[in-house]
This record gives sequence, C-alpha cells and structure tokens, in this order.
Amino acid sequence: MHNVWLIARREYMERVRTKGFILATVLIPLFMAALVGGSAFFMTRTKTSSHIAIVTSDSTLGHDLQHQLETGKDNQMTVDLLQPSEATRAGLEAQLHTHAAQLAGYLWITPPAASGERPNFAYHARSAGDISTEDAIEHGVNAVMTHEGLLGSGLTDAQIKQITAPVEIDTSSSGNSTLAFGIAYLFFFLMYMVIMLYGMNTARSIIEEKTSRVFEVLLATITPDQLLAGKILGVGAVGVTQVGVWMIAAAALAASPMAMHLAGASGAHGILSAAQIGFFILYFIFGFLLYSSMAAALGAMTNSEQELQQLNMFLVIPLAFCMVMLFPTVRAPDSTLARVVSLIPFCSPLLMNFRTALTSVPAWEIILSVVLMSLTIAVVIWFSSRIYRVGILMYGKKPSLPEILRWLKYS
Amino acid sequence: MPIVELQNIRKTYDTKVAVEGLSLTIEPGTMFGLLGPNGSGKTSTIRMMIGMTVPDSGAVRLFGQPFSRSVLNRVGYLPEERGLYKKMKVLDQLTFLGQLHGLKESDARKRSRDWCERLQITEAIDKKTEELSKGMQQKIQFIASLLHEPELVIMDEPFSGLDPVNAELLMDTLIELRRQGKTVLFSTHRMDQIEKLCDSIALIYQGKLVLSGSMREVKSRYPRNRVQAVFSGDDSFLRSSHVADARVYAGIAEITLHSPEGAQPLLREAVSCGAQIMRFEVIEPTLEEIFITTVKGTPEFAEAGGRLAEAGGKTDA
Repeated sequence: MHNVWLIARREYMERVRTKGFILATVLIPLFMAALVGGSAFFMTRTKTSSHIAIVTSDSTLGHDLQHQLETGKDNQMTVDLLQPSEATRAGLEAQLHTHAAQLAGYLWITPPAASGERPNFAYHARSAGDISTEDAIEHGVNAVMTHEGLLGSGLTDAQIKQITAPVEIDTSSSGNSTLAFGIAYLFFFLMYMVIMLYGMNTARSIIEEKTSRVFEVLLATITPDQLLAGKILGVGAVGVTQVGVWMIAAAALAASPMAMHLAGASGAHGILSAAQIGFFILYFIFGFLLYSSMAAALGAMTNSEQELQQLNMFLVIPLAFCMVMLFPTVRAPDSTLARVVSLIPFCSPLLMNFRTALTSVPAWEIILSVVLMSLTIAVVIWFSSRIYRVGILMYGKKPSLPEILRWLKYS
Repeated sequence: MPIVELQNIRKTYDTKVAVEGLSLTIEPGTMFGLLGPNGSGKTSTIRMMIGMTVPDSGAVRLFGQPFSRSVLNRVGYLPEERGLYKKMKVLDQLTFLGQLHGLKESDARKRSRDWCERLQITEAIDKKTEELSKGMQQKIQFIASLLHEPELVIMDEPFSGLDPVNAELLMDTLIELRRQGKTVLFSTHRMDQIEKLCDSIALIYQGKLVLSGSMREVKSRYPRNRVQAVFSGDDSFLRSSHVADARVYAGIAEITLHSPEGAQPLLREAVSCGAQIMRFEVIEPTLEEIFITTVKGTPEFAEAGGRLAEAGGKTDA
C-alpha cells in the first residue's frame, strides 16, 4: 500500500504543479461565470427595444397596441402613433431608407372592409432579418385583438386577466423529474468530460513511462498492479481536485444574486437533499475509478498516443449505452430492466445514482452495485497489470487479442 | 551462502527461447560479470533475478532464500535502458526513487545530495532531468540504484554511453562498493572493460551458459600458448619444433606454441640463432578470445549460422 501511495502522490504533485492544471482550474470557472453573466446580460437585452411606427385610423386599437408594445411583459419598444395618409407613408419609407434614422419598421393597419371582420396588418421592416421585432409585434397584436374581442363579448378586464393568466402545474410532491433529469445530464456530461480528460491522462501517463523507460526502475521494487493502482489514484485525485474546485465555483455562482434572478421562483424547490449529494459523490468517485482503470488497461496495451486514440471508443461505448438506458429508467425506475442495468458496473455510476434521485432504491442494491464496481476495478487492474508486464518486457508492439489472452497465462 | 543462486532456469517467449537451463551462483562480496553478445539473454536473466519476470521453470534464490519480493529493498538495479521522469527535478526524482526502496523522505533527500556531491553533479540538483546531458542522467540513474545502500548491486551495461572519465568514476565507485563488502553484478558485452574488474564471470550465448567461474580459473583453463616477439635479424627460430603457427607482421611475430612450456626453449633458440630480440612476451588469452573460442565450439553457434550476436538486434528488450 505504501508503494501505491508513493506513486499516487508523485503523480498528483507533479500534475497539480503544472501550469496547465492551474490555468484550467482557474480559467474554466471564469469562463463559466462569463457564460452565465453574459447570457443573463443578453437575456435582459433581448427584450425587444426597437423603434417602430403604427399607422392606423382606429385610435383605440392604436393606443392599446402602443401600450402593449411599450410596456408589455417582454417589450420595451418605442412606438409612434400616426394617422394614415400618403404623406405619412412617404415619410416613413424615407426614414427606413436613411441610415441615420432609428426606425426599425412601421405597421400599417387597414381597417376591415365590413364590421366584424379583422383589420389587415402589414409590417414594413428595415431589415427582413429582424425576427424578434416581428415576433413582438405579432404577439402584441394577438394579445390586443384577443383582449378587444373578449371585451366586445361583454367580459370585464378582471375576468379577461383571469382567463388569460398562464397555468402552472405543481410537481413538488412527486419529486421534480425535470430536476432529476437535469442532474442526470449534468452528471453524464461531467463524467464524460472527466473520463475523457483524466481517464485518458491515466492512460497517457502509463504510455509516457513506457516511452521514457522509467517503468523498469519502478518495477525493480514494485509490482505492476501497484504501479497501475497508484497511477489511477494519483491522476484520479487530480481530477477530483479540479472538479471539486469547479463545483465550489459553480455553487458560489449559483448562490450569487444574478443566478438567483435567472433561476427565478422555480429554483426554490431545486435544492438537493444531503443524501443525493452523498450518492452523487459516491457514484462519481466509483465511476471515475472504474473508467480510469479501463483507461489504464488501454494504456497498458498500447505504446503510443495514436494507438490509444483508436481504442478510446471502449470508454465511450459503455457511457453511450448508459445514455440510451436513461430513458427506460426514467420512465420506470423500479422495473426489472432498470434494476438489472443499473447493477452493471459500467452503468451503476450513472444509472444507480439516477434511480436514487427518482425512487427509493433498496439498500442492498446500492451495496451490491458498490461491491460489483469494486470487484470490476480489481479485476481490470489485475488484467491490465499482466498485459502491462508481459507486453512491456517482451515486445515493443501492440498486442493482438489472441496474444493478450495468451499473456494472461504467463507469470 | 551465495547471494544469488539461479538453478536451471528457463524462460521462453512464444517460440523464442530467451534463457535455457541456466545455473549460476554469485558469492557475497564479489564483483561478478555477466557477459555475452547482444541478444544472448543477459537482460532476461537479470529480470528473473529480481522478480520482474518469473522463470518458466527452475528456481531463483536471493540471499540464501527462495525469491520473495521482500528482499528487493536490499537490491539496487540499474536497467540497461535508462529512464527517468523528464519533467521532474533531480532531487525530487532521486528522493522519490529512494522512497520506493523503503527510505524515509528526509534520509532519501540527504543521501541524494551526498551522492550528487560524490559524483560531481551538484549543479544538477535543482534542474529538471530533461535539461541534463545524457552522461549526467546516467549518473543520476546510477545514484538512484545505490541510494538505499543495497547489499546486491545489479547493473545492466553500466558503462555504455559514458565518456572514459565518467566511466572511470563509476568504475571506481563500484570498486569502492565491493571493498565495503557489497556484491556487484554487472552485465556487459564489452569484455575488455571487465577483465580487470571482475572476480568471477559467467559467459552466456544464445540463452545458455557457456562458461563460468572465477576469473583466474577461467583463464587458467585456457593455455598461455601465445607469444608476441619483436625482433630483427635471423627469423629461423619461427620454424622451431615448438611453434605451431607463426605470423610475421612488420617486425612483430605472433606465435602460437604447441604447449605453454615451449616458450622458454623458444626464447633460448631465438637468442642462440642470432636474432635481435627487442621484446618477447607470453600473452594471456583475453576474455574476448576465450569467449570466441568457447562459443565457436558450441552447437548453437553452428545453428545460429556462425554469428556471435543476434542478427535482429535486441528482441529481448
């Protein structure tokens, strides 16, 4: 165990000290913050604020529409109200063709030919691509027309407000499936990213030792499985450190007033329970160790980065399979299929964790999944250490499958 | 009690036999040379000695007990293919390797500094390994294998790639270690290097032991029947009855005698027949000559098509 610790510590210290690590650790949260801040900034800015003109002879309709577009929920437009005439049209057209003018377009409302029919709306825009202004006008016109129609059929303002108010469905009693799904996705992408980054780093570090031939000095005192286990733990600890820093940064960011503002009221019942955080950490660590040991096996089999690239699908395929199984699991988290699949060691980190968020999973299933994952890690390390030793001491080439099987018999 | 004892070990890789029926013993406090051409199985033998690989059959005993990993902290190993962590600082690297051999961190650090002073590379201590010359890296590796004061030092081709000054420095260090009672085993294909260094040798060829024993023993097995003579004047003594073969170069004759006893009578003959003798020297066979003679007598030599070294280079790396 002491040797495993020494290897892991060296690996950790050497990696944490590199500029690349420090940069990534600091820059990625900054980037995330910039992303959140930026999108918040644009979110407020995307309230349509264009300047348009409405040309109509119906002053009630005109005023309602102006009111809607200038002060409505998503709008902050500037609206000029004009009486229709040839001179008005010529003036507006002239403005649309001058660069200096602010006018984004004008809406020409032709009154209906017979009473009871709808008026005709024509929008003349400066730019055909100004979709958000068009949308805003369309929504505004719709709202105003509905409102007027309802008023016309004898309802009061209060009644209309009640009818048109949006409906909200409360799901808090059955658990928030959107949130669970969100967590599963977050977890999936976190796992994917970390496995690709650090799992591959484990493999790379093994290959690096092969090319620099350090392994021979190391193997004079320690066994290949100690070496591999140390590497998995050391590189893994680097990953956990980095992800930990990011998570803390993300939590700090989420607690900031800006994010609160963005999440709005729906964020209130989105707080995770302590048990869920515990499961998240447990399955994250085991998932990480499992996939890192797989990566170590790939590193043990290959001699160069290029060869490794060809094999990294062995890491991606199980992850992709988990993603496919996510849908049956979310639909029926207690079905036999979901229970069996979530016990497969390569899927447990994702699916068992997901199920704990959706339903109450029996303790024995959780314990079994942890036991199975631990066994798999041990077997993978045992397997890779054999391949590593025979492969490295014997040839300088990538073994074929029959060769690998034969090597397992060598001592 | 021998420090190392190999009993009839055999190792095959697929169809290639790396080591076949090899037995040897290394006595404590000796300097032992493991000799053989490239690809003859030296590295494979050493690897089995320290448990990096396990023989297919036969037994390995270290320090008088069957092999177990627990004794590895008493062994220092310098592999043939040198390797260090390129980005690591020298002192950190040495400390790490020392700790792997069971040293405490503070001890490892102190000893590393001492050794760097001893081998005159103090200026390298704070540098990264990749900034150092090859010779310096080799010295660092050399130090790494000795930090934990091993009782048995195993060095695979320790002098390859070193300039004469540094090779001498390392050789002196090895001699000093032996003087302290340590056992030193090194392998080399440069036989001239070890003639003066080794107490005992083992010669292997094509994975088999062809010759072993103490240096004196080995040499005494090969008769001192060669004479080099520098002379002028009458050369009739070259046709004496003691002479089996004689080749004359510019003023130098290389003479092979029928038996070692013929040297003195031949000298008398030469003087009496009037040749001017400037030098008359009975030549000891060199290890290289002994090796070539021995190898040529083995059936494997014929099988290998009369080649000493493996044609394909290092396949047992």
